Amino acid sequence: MPLLGTLVLLFLVLMLGVGTGVIPGIVIWIGGVLLANIAIVRFVVAATAVLLFTIPTAFVIIFLELKVIAFMNLRIGPNRVGPWGTLASVVHGLKVLSKEDFTPTGADVTVFTLAPVVTFVGSVMAFMVLPFGPGLFGVDFNVGLLYFFGVGGLGVVGLLMAGWSSFNKYSLLGGLRSAAQMVSYEIPLTLSVVGVIMLAGTMSLNGIVQAQSGSFLDWFVVRQPLAFLVFFIAATAEANRTPFDLTEADSEIVAGFATEYSGMRFGFFFFAEYVNVFLLSGLAVVLFFGGWTAPVPWPWPVHVLLAPGELGLALLALVIVVPVVGSALFALPLWMLRSEWPFWRAWILGLGLFSALAVGALGIYLLINLDALLGIVWFFAKAYVFVFTFVWMRATLPRVRIDQLMGLAWKWLLPAALVNLFLTALAILVVHP
Amino acid sequence: MATRIPSLDDPRVLVSTPATIYDAIPPYAPRTEREAEFYGLRDGEMLVNMGPQHPSTHGVLRLVVKIDGERVVDLDPVLGYLHRGIEKLSENADYHHAICYTDPLEYVSSLFNELAPVMAFEQLLDLRVPRRAEYIRVLSCELNRIASHALFIGWMALDLGGITPILYSFIERDEIVEMLAALTGQRMLFNYMRIGGVNGDLNHEFLSRLGDWMGHALAQVEADTALLNQNEIFVRRTRGLGRMDRQTAIGFGMSGPNIRACGVPYDVRRAHPYSVYPELEFEIPTREEGDSYARYLLRIDEIKQSIHIIDQVLHRMPDGPVMAQLPRRITPRPGRAWAAVESPRGQYGCFAISDGTDQPYRFRIHDPSFVNLQAVVPLMPGNLLADTMAVMASLDPVMGGIDK
Repeated sequence: MPLLGTLVLLFLVLMLGVGTGVIPGIVIWIGGVLLANIAIVRFVVAATAVLLFTIPTAFVIIFLELKVIAFMNLRIGPNRVGPWGTLASVVHGLKVLSKEDFTPTGADVTVFTLAPVVTFVGSVMAFMVLPFGPGLFGVDFNVGLLYFFGVGGLGVVGLLMAGWSSFNKYSLLGGLRSAAQMVSYEIPLTLSVVGVIMLAGTMSLNGIVQAQSGSFLDWFVVRQPLAFLVFFIAATAEANRTPFDLTEADSEIVAGFATEYSGMRFGFFFFAEYVNVFLLSGLAVVLFFGGWTAPVPWPWPVHVLLAPGELGLALLALVIVVPVVGSALFALPLWMLRSEWPFWRAWILGLGLFSALAVGALGIYLLINLDALLGIVWFFAKAYVFVFTFVWMRATLPRVRIDQLMGLAWKWLLPAALVNLFLTALAILVVHP
Repeated sequence: MATRIPSLDDPRVLVSTPATIYDAIPPYAPRTEREAEFYGLRDGEMLVNMGPQHPSTHGVLRLVVKIDGERVVDLDPVLGYLHRGIEKLSENADYHHAICYTDPLEYVSSLFNELAPVMAFEQLLDLRVPRRAEYIRVLSCELNRIASHALFIGWMALDLGGITPILYSFIERDEIVEMLAALTGQRMLFNYMRIGGVNGDLNHEFLSRLGDWMGHALAQVEADTALLNQNEIFVRRTRGLGRMDRQTAIGFGMSGPNIRACGVPYDVRRAHPYSVYPELEFEIPTREEGDSYARYLLRIDEIKQSIHIIDQVLHRMPDGPVMAQLPRRITPRPGRAWAAVESPRGQYGCFAISDGTDQPYRFRIHDPSFVNLQAVVPLMPGNLLADTMAVMASLDPVMGGIDK
């Protein structure tokens, strides 16, 4: 009876603890500590949530990429694991986990091991400032955008470390390419959003979204189309996506910086790439497409029409009468159609149908009322349009050459970003002197 | 080069990098001036092995590329990783068997590999091939040419980083390959040509597939290549790249689309007509630029010409036997013969000497890929590393033919 004995002992200790006030004291003490450091608690919770959020995001985007490119290539794509192959990317992840973790002879082991971590952590940290909905963000930095670019730039350090430490010429070339590419494209990327910062008057991503609230005409893409173009091209290069995927150009330098990586270390690079895709899609949405705001605000606030508190006695009638009448309304035609059924059967079915309708209506009501829920839906819908565009580009375009890449950044994107900056400043001076 | 790393055999022992056959720098002292110049690295230069295992070397070509940053300084192609001794094997087989050995030489366009030796042997025998057999040969060869060029277009795009065009061009290639499978029984190594004719007559499945395909062949070519022809990135990456001038091309003895892209209208079908080509109307498309983009466009033009040829062949197809009367064991009179055909890669020739027995005394294949591959050495230096593969792809070498 060791189990029973243990349970009895535990119960006795618990009773003793509660009786003497030790356990309530500990609980109150912990609660007090947590309440006193609410900012830290919030940060830890947000960081954990963001870290957990990245994994399904990467899975979804990998699946999307497999399936969308297959569709564009006139192939079928993954269709074996799960419904419509939806679990293919999860199985990819498991496969990567189960593979041999190989370190090549001659590699700088410390740097080699740290490189994927640096890349992945950089991507995840940038998530902290991204507002997913009203009030739904890790931290509302007042220099959020600066933090975003700062941390986002950390990823390239990981790529460079991987390229240098792998003891492989292809890796070295890939790492150097990624460094050159990142240095060139950070500048137009950052300059292109300065116009947005000037219009919004803040660098907090939450504040930028709030500055665009209203209809879709208030989105910054309307006032900053050139900036958006520059931002999108630079973001594609920043995420190492086709046509700027020179760092892992498979037909030239095998797999670039990731040539010598296997197992979960490669998986981290792989994850970081897709997390970056979502991150930059999210940033494009936040900066230029109104973040979590709806394109057209809902014109009839439903909570005014239906204020349950003001109904009084009618509320009682609503609760008692409406389900009965509603069920009857559904049950009666059913019973008339299927006269061989007993009455209770039609009644139960009617109740089920009415409940489904009621829950659906309630859901829609909540959706319209709950800005947070709606905001998340809008944010993800917009972000996944961009994710789809990235995948679409990968299926369509060949790769540019490194000199063309540099030429585009320095000769076209940088002047365009500067012109945009100048025009924005001029417009602000003219309109709001 | 003085890096000392743990030995693979015993990690406690530090050795300098063990020499393998894949090491960029060979383990022996330089034997020629060229080797001394090539392997002597100046400051900032690095040797990179591209191949024999590399995602895009079209087989097992190994390019030792000397780079300075991203720029290619010098280049040394290393051949022989796919050498199977096919010429020697053919000399030890009788005349009928030699055809199955030559079949997998240029595995992308096998029918031409069969046609050239068959034509050489027919010259040795002084044999007349039935006209229907000649027409069927032209028909199947032109189909194979389209299949080969379709694969080229896809490969070229793949080497430039575009992943979709290869799947589009495979639609076309797959239809043709299925067609030829209906005719010959095989999808890739057809083994269809025979001394004195072809293996079998046209059958219903082949003709019905061909008829279906001919209805939309031209539209299909336009649709498949629209993704590349109108793509700014593709055009900018290939135009002006790997420019070959006329004199150098002639000097190297290049042939096929690669020399026609330099403005030399040399086509064996016109220059040294064989089979029934003199009776058919077709143009020899040429281009003046001589760059990768011209070579790419030229092959599209050739596909259109091939469709035109197939159209005429189908209208003029005569009746009659497809095989000449011939004993099973053939012993040609002593003598020598040379026959050349225009394969998708250029002049594919076969030289055979008979000593009066039933085996060729000497059997030699002249492969166009081998000649065209010489061009990579003058074309590459000065380009960027990313362009090595674009130039290579536009020359369209097949290692099976080069290494024999």
